[in-house]
Amino acid sequence: MNCGRLTVAAAVFVLLGASAAALDWPLSPPRVAATFGTYAKGRVVAGIALSSEDGIVRSAEDGELSFSLEDGANASGLPTPLGSYIVIEHQKGVAAIYSHLAPGTRSTALKIRAGDILGKSGSSGWIEGPGLVFQVFDRRAGSWVNPLLLLPQLAVDKPPVIRSLALSRADKVYVLGETASFPQGTYKVAVEVSVPADAAWTQGPPAPYGIRLSVDGDEAAYLVFDVARGEGGRLMLFSSAPVAADELRTKEGRYSLTERLFTRGRTAIEVRVEDAAGDKRSASWTVLVE
Amino acid sequence: MEESGKRRLTVAGTVAAGIVYFLVCAFPLQKELVLVPGWTRSLAQSPAAAAPKKVNAAGPTVSASASSPPIPFRLGGRFGYFTADGTILFTGAAPYGVALAPDAYATYERLSEGFAIQSPDGATLARVASVGYPFFAAGRRFVIAPDQATVSELSRSGAIAWTYEFGSVATCFDASPSMAVFGLMDGRIVGIGASGKVLLDFAPGGSHIPGVYGVAVSPDGLLVAAITGLDRQRLVVMEKRSSAYRVGYHRYLASDYRRPVYMGFTADGGKLAYESPSGVGVFDRTSRDETAISVPADSRLGLTTLDGRLLVLLSGSGEEKRLVCAALPDRRVVDLVLKAELAFVETRGDSIFLGADQDIVRMDLAER
Repeated sequence: MNCGRLTVAAAVFVLLGASAAALDWPLSPPRVAATFGTYAKGRVVAGIALSSEDGIVRSAEDGELSFSLEDGANASGLPTPLGSYIVIEHQKGVAAIYSHLAPGTRSTALKIRAGDILGKSGSSGWIEGPGLVFQVFDRRAGSWVNPLLLLPQLAVDKPPVIRSLALSRADKVYVLGETASFPQGTYKVAVEVSVPADAAWTQGPPAPYGIRLSVDGDEAAYLVFDVARGEGGRLMLFSSAPVAADELRTKEGRYSLTERLFTRGRTAIEVRVEDAAGDKRSASWTVLVE
Repeated sequence: MEESGKRRLTVAGTVAAGIVYFLVCAFPLQKELVLVPGWTRSLAQSPAAAAPKKVNAAGPTVSASASSPPIPFRLGGRFGYFTADGTILFTGAAPYGVALAPDAYATYERLSEGFAIQSPDGATLARVASVGYPFFAAGRRFVIAPDQATVSELSRSGAIAWTYEFGSVATCFDASPSMAVFGLMDGRIVGIGASGKVLLDFAPGGSHIPGVYGVAVSPDGLLVAAITGLDRQRLVVMEKRSSAYRVGYHRYLASDYRRPVYMGFTADGGKLAYESPSGVGVFDRTSRDETAISVPADSRLGLTTLDGRLLVLLSGSGEEKRLVCAALPDRRVVDLVLKAELAFVETRGDSIFLGADQDIVRMDLAER
């Protein structure tokens, strides 16, 4: 665990405070269509996408409005793919963005109480919706925070799914399960996993919260979707080693975990996946490295 | 009798002195600036958008003469081009939005996954397979991704020249040929050069809540101005000294905007105009003096300059718009109220082009 990772973990801990749920759901009852880290149209979603029956968007906490914009009304001429959106400054340096609101429904009140109506979820801007994209920005750390860490846990009856694990080098790909052996060498390890979503307009399989890879009992990689931060013009996810969000997925749709040397002999590989509610799923393979 | 003679002498002396003064110290009266009506064109009878004719990746193909280059306009969902001599090149309707520049335009859908860049005569200059919305400024072409936090610049052929992920939502923008400047929700101002190199990355402090509500870059790229923060809001002007930008001027404002605001440098870069609750604030680059033009309006639609001498402001909301041309400090040459739901204003040299619903009107600045 490196220094950056410790800082990030500390920031999330401070945001959470003593309570497990620092914020309330902005839509109720919420249907999660995309989770933090979902890969959509070549980009990682640094928030969550939600929908609900009535579409009424409520403030997740007390706060103050700091930004409010109607779709297409940016005086500077900058297009607004977030459509109609508002930004509320909640406590402890947390700013929340409520975007893609239905035109003409956004609140303009400056002082906001938890549960106040902020507007109606809609399909303004670049969203397949109708729905709401809810993002949480930690101003102190300058990072996006996975909102599911701050919201009440959802009762999820469908645990994450591990679909495949692949080792690749050059143009050769070995999918474990389909093959029981492969030549020794350095391989990129990638896993195809997802968590179920219950809205039809998800652009890609929702991301899990964490993916852990073990080789012969040792942790080889840990990819966690808790925070993301812009560094040097790239969005970085802070896993066991910082990873650029745009390098997160392979063209086959798997999450890249690590690059590792596999030497001759029998090797045990295990993948453990968990979602934000703590549901876990694991899968293991024993393969022969020739 | 002697008294009366003295008085007469005094009066005569005064008159004579007056005549001498007017002969010797004559000073010509300042000429009045007036707007002379030019042409009026109705968009209702203008040609519809031309179908794309040809692919030309080398550069724009413009049917108008070089002496009368196309002027882009947008009225609600309608857009098009006209020339200073009154020719409407075409009008079209954007399906969701349009990026407009004098040499090219691109219409796009709400869920845009690609678009064509076209010249004002309808020729296709490039096809871009990029997810997001295009926007053009200062001869440069950009795309903003659906996350509103990632920007790419396009080459003339439509290829991605560079991409930058801010790590925060972009709230406002301005560009010069040498630098594109973005204001971010997290309070940073990021300036990116034509090669994609970051030339400026600065977060002005001094406010309880960070945020950037407006940015402007001078045409020479040496000055960057921004309206930042809440509680309290500030005007910050940065100057490029040697190779770095440093704050050269700042002032707390009375404003409390929580939306993007209008601001921009005049074409000669000498003055910065910005939206303020009382009208338009004007910062002089040389003297560092600030003045204000009071315009009672609840929204700002357009801000431009006329030959560097006048600020032209189109304001208002609903069906009533107001055109004000003001010489600094706050001497109004024109103050015109018009009934129009949609309006725009553009200036070229000494001419104002005012669009109002179905009409475009040209007015020329003259001295009398």
